[in-house]
Amino acid sequence: MSEELQRSGAVRSTVRRTIIGPSGRVAARVLAPIDETLQPLADRFNRLFGPYVGDVTGLQLAALLVSLVALVVAPTWAPLLAGNYMRTLTLACIWAIFAMGWDIQSGYTGYISFGHSVLSAAAGYTTALLVVTVSPDLGFVVTIPLSILAAVIVGLLIGLPSLRLSGPYFSLVTFVAVLLFYRLTIGFSETLGGENGFQAVEVFTWDFTMRYYYMLVPMLVVAVVLTVVARSNVGMVLVAIRENEQAVSAAGLNPTTFKLWSFVLSSITMGIGGVLLAHFGGNVDPATFVVVDRSIEMIAMAVIGGMSSILGPIGGAFLFVLLRDEVLRLWFGHSTRWIVLWLLVLLVLVFARDGLFRWIWHALGSIGGDHE
Amino acid sequence: MLESILSILITGAMISALYALIAIGFTMIFGVGGVLNLAHGALIMAGAYVFMALNRDIVAEAIALPSIVVFPLAVAIVAGLSYGLYVGLVRYIEDNAVITFLATVVLATTVTEVAIGIFGDQPYSYTVISGTVGLAGTAVSYNDLAGFVVSWIAIGLLWYYITKTDGGRSILAASMSERGARLTGVDLHSVRTRTWLIAGSLAGVAGIFLGGGQAATPLMWLNPLALAFIIVVIGGIGSIKGSIVAAYLIGYTETLTVSVLGQSFRGILSLVILLVVLFLLPQGLYGREYVHE
Repeated sequence: MSEELQRSGAVRSTVRRTIIGPSGRVAARVLAPIDETLQPLADRFNRLFGPYVGDVTGLQLAALLVSLVALVVAPTWAPLLAGNYMRTLTLACIWAIFAMGWDIQSGYTGYISFGHSVLSAAAGYTTALLVVTVSPDLGFVVTIPLSILAAVIVGLLIGLPSLRLSGPYFSLVTFVAVLLFYRLTIGFSETLGGENGFQAVEVFTWDFTMRYYYMLVPMLVVAVVLTVVARSNVGMVLVAIRENEQAVSAAGLNPTTFKLWSFVLSSITMGIGGVLLAHFGGNVDPATFVVVDRSIEMIAMAVIGGMSSILGPIGGAFLFVLLRDEVLRLWFGHSTRWIVLWLLVLLVLVFARDGLFRWIWHALGSIGGDHE
Repeated sequence: MLESILSILITGAMISALYALIAIGFTMIFGVGGVLNLAHGALIMAGAYVFMALNRDIVAEAIALPSIVVFPLAVAIVAGLSYGLYVGLVRYIEDNAVITFLATVVLATTVTEVAIGIFGDQPYSYTVISGTVGLAGTAVSYNDLAGFVVSWIAIGLLWYYITKTDGGRSILAASMSERGARLTGVDLHSVRTRTWLIAGSLAGVAGIFLGGGQAATPLMWLNPLALAFIIVVIGGIGSIKGSIVAAYLIGYTETLTVSVLGQSFRGILSLVILLVVLFLLPQGLYGREYVHE
């Protein structure tokens, strides 16, 4: 290719040789003993859970445990920081669910959907409509399953026609689905609340700490379930579809069935997230749920974390939301903060295509020695 | 009755002409590079804002150039931005369709924020040519009329360029078969560069007249982009002829929906048409199968 491409490649390899390489070696030397001490623990973990969630090395297990503990005890450390970290972390949990939901469909099958905000909107709007038009005291036992069901139905409505299409056509149609849904909320503003939406949804609790756990626990459950699915044969078929769809059909499997299943799985996840988001702030409106920016945000989270993994989107969501609501808010004005954030996402897209957290995960894994 | 039909015919033609420009640029880039440029809407928006900024004195006190000077200048600037987009970003990632997708859409959202940062989030209205003219009982603004005329001039020039000149024919060749084009000595890099320049100038023209008809707003990239999607999918990705036909189909559908059902239903019928076409003709009216290389 052209000169500039070569030059940028040269810059990249110089950076790798002089900065990343040596600092990586230093880090490896420091971390290797920790890895070794934790290896027995990791081995036990692998024996117990390895078949379901994949093997880990000592360091990877340590990273997992540390982040898990940090998340669980967040109410003890978050108030020490300047800013409203409890609220931000709570939101990050919801968005992590969205990012995982997007990823289990788009990241694993390679069929990039721009329409996932519609799925969460379906759940959110169903909750709101049930409360507003049917009865305010239906209770969560009724509204939550119905809302998730609505997300699945809408998911099938989008998935059935669009999964007949391949590559860019699929993405275009899902993008259009968002716009269609948005137009419907405006066109049928008497039933769907128009631009202002609904404010009547009951909030789980206004207590920052409790609300955080209400979102954290579902996120962890979703993460474990999706990890198990992704590590199972189904997950393997989904990745195979992304890599070579003909090969999958040649093996006697119907790719469309699997793509639909991934869409359903993703719809359920999006539904859970949508319900949580509706009960987080109590309002359901197009700006919070439907508009295409929401889809783009969840895609950005999954991609900066690392597509086609489960930990990647979670990390990406936390990084994205923390940057957006706390770190960048501290430094920049409203629209500048978004510009900086999107430029960072762009940088990750161009220079670290596989995502940051995936890269960290593999780097941790490779310190152990014989892995990769 | 007759008058309202005539009115629909005329208004529909005006808006469809701009849709055609938007869709052609979008589809050419896909046809030649296999790149879905989701930042196309951002280029349209850039057209409107650049024209507005140079034409009105609210942005910079000193600058308020006459439309006749600003128009070619703005088109050239947008073409340059489009070229910059290719050289500065897309070229490095075009081998990966997914990354290209995401990067261009992220760029478009960034541009929205830039527009909000510079101009604020209120709309700016301007016109390319002010005044209206009565046409068969329908009031048509000179802005829309000029848009219609310029659109067809641009399409005519494009047709001449693509079918009659060597430079244009190499674009056509590259869109049919990249390998074939390379074997016959076509410089793909120059073909792609020219395609992005052409697409950028078409987007610029469309953006200027769209903004002149409505107003320049930070979110104005979204609807044209969606329209470009719908039109291009209906017409068949990569087909210029399909884009023109589908643009008029969608333009008229929208005009009809708005005049019969009202403004809030704008677009819904087009989306239904899109779904029907996808079910019956997954590759669009004049499309060919998408081959992932």
